[in-house]
Amino acid sequence: MSELETQVLIIGGGVLGTAIARELSRYKVDVTLVEKEVDFGWGSTKANMCIVCQGGDALEFRKEYHRSRLVWESIPLTEPLCRQLAVPFKRIGELTIFKDNEGMAKYQKLKTRAESLGITTHQFIDRDTLRQMEPNVTKEAIGALYDPMIAITDPVRLTMALAENARQNGVNILTGTEVLDISSGVDEFEVQTSQGSIKSKFIVNAAGMFVDKVAAMANADDFVVFPIKGYVGILDKKVGGLVEHEIHARPEAPGESNIITPTVYGNLIIGTPMKLARRNDYSTTRQMAEIGLRNAQKLVPDISEGDIINSFAGFLMFRNWELGWHECVVSPSRSVPRFISVSIGYPGVSAAPATGKKAVKLLTQEGLKLEENPNFNPYRKAITDFSKLSDEEKGALIAEDNRYGHVVCRCEMVTEGEVVEAIGRGATTLDGVKFRTRAGMGRCQGGFCSPRVISILARQLGIPEEEVTKKGGESRHLLYQSKQLLGVRE
Amino acid sequence: MPEEKNITCIGCPMGCAVTLTIDDDRKVTSITGYKCKEGQKYALAEYKNPVRTLTATVLTQNSSQRLLAVRTTAPIPKTKLLPGIMALAEVRAKPPIKMGDVVISNLLDTGVDVVATSGLLF
Amino acid sequence: MNRQNVDVAVIGSGPAGMAAAIRAKQSGAENVVVMERAEQMGGLLHQCVHNGFGLLYFNEDLTGPEYARRFMEKAMDVKVTPLLETMVTKISPEREITAISSKEGYITFTPKSIVLAMGCRERSRGALNIPGTRPAGILTAGTAQRFVNVEGFIPGKKIVILGSGDIGMIMARRLTLEGAEVVAVVEILPYIGGLIRNEVQCLHDFSIPLLLEHTITQIHGEKRIEAVNVARVDNNRDPIGGTERRIECDTLLLSVGLIPENELSSMAGVELDPITGGPIVGEMRQTNVPGIFAGGNVVHVHDLVDNVSWESELAGESAARFAMGAKWAEKGKIALKPGRNIRYIVPQTISGEREITLYLRVSDLEEGVRLKIGDIMSKALRVVKPSEMLKIELPMAQLRKLKQGATEIVVDCEKRGK
Repeated sequence: MSELETQVLIIGGGVLGTAIARELSRYKVDVTLVEKEVDFGWGSTKANMCIVCQGGDALEFRKEYHRSRLVWESIPLTEPLCRQLAVPFKRIGELTIFKDNEGMAKYQKLKTRAESLGITTHQFIDRDTLRQMEPNVTKEAIGALYDPMIAITDPVRLTMALAENARQNGVNILTGTEVLDISSGVDEFEVQTSQGSIKSKFIVNAAGMFVDKVAAMANADDFVVFPIKGYVGILDKKVGGLVEHEIHARPEAPGESNIITPTVYGNLIIGTPMKLARRNDYSTTRQMAEIGLRNAQKLVPDISEGDIINSFAGFLMFRNWELGWHECVVSPSRSVPRFISVSIGYPGVSAAPATGKKAVKLLTQEGLKLEENPNFNPYRKAITDFSKLSDEEKGALIAEDNRYGHVVCRCEMVTEGEVVEAIGRGATTLDGVKFRTRAGMGRCQGGFCSPRVISILARQLGIPEEEVTKKGGESRHLLYQSKQLLGVRE
Repeated sequence: MPEEKNITCIGCPMGCAVTLTIDDDRKVTSITGYKCKEGQKYALAEYKNPVRTLTATVLTQNSSQRLLAVRTTAPIPKTKLLPGIMALAEVRAKPPIKMGDVVISNLLDTGVDVVATSGLLF
Repeated sequence: MNRQNVDVAVIGSGPAGMAAAIRAKQSGAENVVVMERAEQMGGLLHQCVHNGFGLLYFNEDLTGPEYARRFMEKAMDVKVTPLLETMVTKISPEREITAISSKEGYITFTPKSIVLAMGCRERSRGALNIPGTRPAGILTAGTAQRFVNVEGFIPGKKIVILGSGDIGMIMARRLTLEGAEVVAVVEILPYIGGLIRNEVQCLHDFSIPLLLEHTITQIHGEKRIEAVNVARVDNNRDPIGGTERRIECDTLLLSVGLIPENELSSMAGVELDPITGGPIVGEMRQTNVPGIFAGGNVVHVHDLVDNVSWESELAGESAARFAMGAKWAEKGKIALKPGRNIRYIVPQTISGEREITLYLRVSDLEEGVRLKIGDIMSKALRVVKPSEMLKIELPMAQLRKLKQGATEIVVDCEKRGK
């Protein structure tokens, strides 16, 4: 790409950017989305607990907050969206446990506030009911506030599906394209990227943790993002049955809130305290891990360190604008026309469907003319999930294509056929295959499947094995060929 | 000047650290640190003539496999391990090869052959 | 082949599976199948191109592929039926096996008996929870071994190895001989995790630095690993503040232990020992599920392949006899209980009616000890180490000394008197 012209340029391929792209693809409008990574949802979208809030967490969701509204408006949209895009979505319910009457009184306030907002699904349950619902939860809990509506999804898969569906409906999507500079002309922007320049009439800035940097490039707004980091640990499926609901304990001290929740794949994830962090610093520390485990054990004592199969940093963001602290930004720039910044901070995944619609509305207010795209197809077909097929279906599929009879990931039971499908949908890296198929997400964390996935990627993409990367750029997995370091081979 | 040489015995899990004292005429004047006769015997042999079996891979040509596994048929002097590896790096094995086929005969004049430990059918 | 008439099905064709299948056939089972997910029998032996295999079993120093070949040929001689490129996905407590194969699609059948021989897998980084970033270039030693010895790729040229297990040390030598530099082998314990012979021949021979009582406290690098922080640890294995230093590297190999692979065993209702991670077995290598036997690294992780073969032969023989109608109690009358400084004992139960071989490991390194098998046998040992498995023959002459009606034997590793 040397020079490209488009009507709307979306910067950022996280859950918000792709949700906006997909929403815009309902209309006849020329849209381009750029993402600096080689795949979608690898920034702050990836770094969370996979929970779809249902607006009942009223302590955070005050009525006057923008993002509360976006979450509420998303409630009726998320489940149908996941169904259209064939992305897992499961309503598991949340249990906020308390250990004394004082705790219960605090949650009574929360319940009352939720009710005043029209959320009437909360109920208190006593110790015995809690035991029946969750026998492995700490015996110290005397009861819980139960919200049956809380759901879970797979945020990265949702983002990838949104991008795939947007592309299917005509959005031009460019990965590995980092925005370097933006100059605003009279009626269009000129955007310099790592892959060339793009002219665009409108810009939607959905750059996640870099939303302030991108806004600053265009002199659009003056706000600063403060990323806040926590620890997320993934537990082996063998302990996946310890709890069935999201178990939550409100902070005893500031920042001490912690969560344990099932995933849509049958693992558990544990999450803990958040601290101010450097932007884009996805590292975890020993201290974070220790506190993470300890806090999880306060909720479910049977969890042990050996159950943790992977861990990563979780992120949320606050913004400091000239007017003070802001929980989210979804608004046109006050100084630069046709430039919209979108950042939820958290819960971005829960707010994404309504944010997509809201961004479209803001664009029209800024002058974008929209006409319905009669060919818009809201459906995306799932990649085959071999492990979920019946015995007969498995047999039939292998007879049709024997690559489905070749298991490449034994922990998650992923076949070569599924890996090939994932590559067909846009995976170009080991992580790209992993997030689409789960190959490498199991207890051996890629030990068995990585050689196999690397050779399939090399074959399908027509590149040498050494050029296959974990996650794009300099993340090559194998640096040299045999004997190369002995100086006998170029 | 007498010189000291430390050798770890591999005879048992004990892994005795055996110390040999060597005089100017390269003669062993004392052996200490072993806890059984095995240790003494091993340390002396390891000092006089340390030998190892070399195992490695060689590149292939016109084969469906990239590598062929190989070994020396007997241990060779330790000092020949790295030169041996360099000699093997030049080899391009062509199928068909079966286990036991000689890949290099008389490696670096050691009198020991390098043979395939697996096969190359095609 | 008629799968409705299988006597013994062996799951896995590594050293354990091949030995079990051959012995099952030799013990009179007619129809013995080995189920293997790869294209050939042999399992991980094919990627173990180093020598040191068969020193006890064949009295010869063989490489992994050579050791495999002997068993593969024997299996063909005695007419074991291999089912290759076939991955078993399920075993029911009623012994129904479900598998998928790229050639035959979906397979299901119920053999008269089963030998579990799935071996073990490596512990991963996640299981260790090493803090830091998530870059490329971190892999287990066994995965690296496959890349280097089979696929033909070298992961990097400046390598740190965490853990001093045998595969890690062997890969340190292998990568050095491929022209890479192994800058450190980092071991949290005060002694190596593998065999002394590997410390000498893989590390000392090539002057590879071994950092005992050290661990990795942080991983650096955004896309590809760039460095690790290494710190000394105290007696509780916690890093000591102020001892941390940075070591530049482009690859981190993990050699921090192996775990028996027992997902299928659990589905079949086989009871596992939380210490070994493998099935609780009796002296015939019978599990708690009638007709299901187990041998090799799926039961407990061995240090030497020779013992894997021997133990699995026992499982194969038992499976054949079960298929032909022999029966045993699922649990022996007498439990073997780990006492002082004993981590585990296999088998966990015995009948006391036939001579047996005990495999056991200690918890801590100790010098000058006496191993006491209840009050029926005792043996002085110069040194015991968790990384070196102990193998003790318990003959009938000793077993006869057991008191009538005894239900347990405590095994102790006692410090010898001054």
